[in-house]
Amino acid sequence: MMQRQMGELLRLGSLALRMLFDAPYKSLGTLVGVIISVFLMAQQASLLLGILGRVTSFVDASGVDIWITSLATESTDATGSLPASKVGAVAGTPGVAWAAPVVQGQGKVTRPDGVQENVKVLGVEPPRYAGLPRTLGPGTTAEALRGSGRIFLNWSDRQTFADAQPGDRIEINGRAGVVAGFFQGVNPHNPFYYVFANIDDARALAGFPQDRVTYIAVGIVPGERVQDVQARLEARIPDALVKTRAELRAMEKRFFLVRTPVGVLFGMGTVVAALIGAAIVAVTLYSTAVDRARDYGTLKAIGARQRQILQLLMLQAWIFFAAGYLVGITVFFLVRFHFPELAMATPPRLVVGVAAAAFASCTLASLVAVRRVLLFDPAIVFRA
Amino acid sequence: MLDRSIALEGRGVGKVFGAGDLAVRALYPTDIQIRRGEVLVIMGPSGSGKTTLLSILGLVLTPSEGEVLVGGRDVSAATPDELAILRRDRVGFVFQQFNLLPSLSALENVAVPLLLAGAPRGERVARAARALDLVGMAGKQGATPRLLSGGQQQRVAIARALVNDAPVLLCDEPTASLDGRTGQGILATLRELATGEERAVVIVTHDDRVLPIADRLVHVIDGKVVDTLLQLQQGAP
Repeated sequence: MMQRQMGELLRLGSLALRMLFDAPYKSLGTLVGVIISVFLMAQQASLLLGILGRVTSFVDASGVDIWITSLATESTDATGSLPASKVGAVAGTPGVAWAAPVVQGQGKVTRPDGVQENVKVLGVEPPRYAGLPRTLGPGTTAEALRGSGRIFLNWSDRQTFADAQPGDRIEINGRAGVVAGFFQGVNPHNPFYYVFANIDDARALAGFPQDRVTYIAVGIVPGERVQDVQARLEARIPDALVKTRAELRAMEKRFFLVRTPVGVLFGMGTVVAALIGAAIVAVTLYSTAVDRARDYGTLKAIGARQRQILQLLMLQAWIFFAAGYLVGITVFFLVRFHFPELAMATPPRLVVGVAAAAFASCTLASLVAVRRVLLFDPAIVFRA
Repeated sequence: MLDRSIALEGRGVGKVFGAGDLAVRALYPTDIQIRRGEVLVIMGPSGSGKTTLLSILGLVLTPSEGEVLVGGRDVSAATPDELAILRRDRVGFVFQQFNLLPSLSALENVAVPLLLAGAPRGERVARAARALDLVGMAGKQGATPRLLSGGQQQRVAIARALVNDAPVLLCDEPTASLDGRTGQGILATLRELATGEERAVVIVTHDDRVLPIADRLVHVIDGKVVDTLLQLQQGAP
């Protein structure tokens, strides 16, 4: 049964394709519309995913299992603080392998050209350096932070700081920090540079109180369920926010999407791109169908069943989808390849999602033409 | 008793378009039989109802009253899909404007009814080539309609009507778009199909040149079949 239907679809597929060549300019217009729609959908969604990935890059890069912070904290861009004394209570909780304080302060960093920009100074505690990205720059070890006044710079910020090398001095809040190495994997989408220092230097650079911490980073005992440990921590320190890495990541995204117009902008862009594609396909297929009323009437008169007419039009819409998607997504990847600095993420779900959206928009758009053609009276063929 | 020589029959078929005060009667109840091997010509002025009669006989228009019998079977209760299959298998259409699909070659155009019937590619090609050969178009298989003259396009259209071995050919003004000589050639072909292939051929026309190939002539005026004249076949022109 299935095989027979596939056979019929294939037979009609060749007819559907050939009929598209009867109106080459309209078909080309439809194809260009689908290509633009696919490209825009992919580009908008990719930028959104890329930016969201950057928003959570600090959380993702650290490898910490559980983050504890103030109840007032909304995201890593809007943090409160906790008493440093909580670290001991956390460390003593069953299931916790280790707990380490992390401080986060802000200030101004002076670029080599004299311009001052915002910087986030993160302080991590030796010997574990919890909170420090797991991927460090070439030749950098965490131990390089142990000496006084040392900082790690983001590997991707080297150019801004005149191709900074270990030993170079960088001014933060009027104090000098010595570049001791580099970290990687943190490319935040906010107007801050990130630097890491040991916790005492970070407090000094950012003017952060000695008796407070921004986060307590927690590693759990192997074999423990993270949710179980989280529940115990919540019970032990109810006046703090206890988040798993995944929860903090979700919180970061939510904060970003709600507090900035980026989510709406790119989300709407993706939807509008899909709608534009659907509208172009709908209008051109409909107009082609009306222009070709006599051809469809002829097909009906010589024996095409309604189902076959439906299949014919659907196949035409799917031909536009297949060709348009192939070209559109290729152009998108070419752009992505040529502009690697853009915050574009291309996970497999993006490729599949855009395909599904383009398929749905072409299919739905074809229904307008399908409805019109199914209503054609085959007797139209006898009218001059 | 079923008369197998009758390929198509209308019993009391009539048509009213619209309803109530806006109702317009296009065809009064009419009895008509079309026999295998005969050429029936339907003539009448524009708007007289002859195309309505042809559309009803061709199963593309449902009559308001009466019934159509195809090969002796009443098709009044047939579903739209069943009617489509009957049209595909039992009736061949030849149109005034040829109605070929422009992007398909002559062979592919002729093969469309077979494609709709689900015939495999090899069979489609072989039967379409045979049908083209029958109408003298064997050498033009690969030509698209724009490369063919009006007469050649009409021959391709006739081949398309024949390809499913339909016993009935319904022709709507088949010579109207053709010059005199080409029209004569088409009429000769239709006559030959009736005589040689035992097909029932119905021709709706204004063109008096058709009369020499007719076995019977029906006049339709103001929706009424006013006379049915029996004629002696005078052979192909």
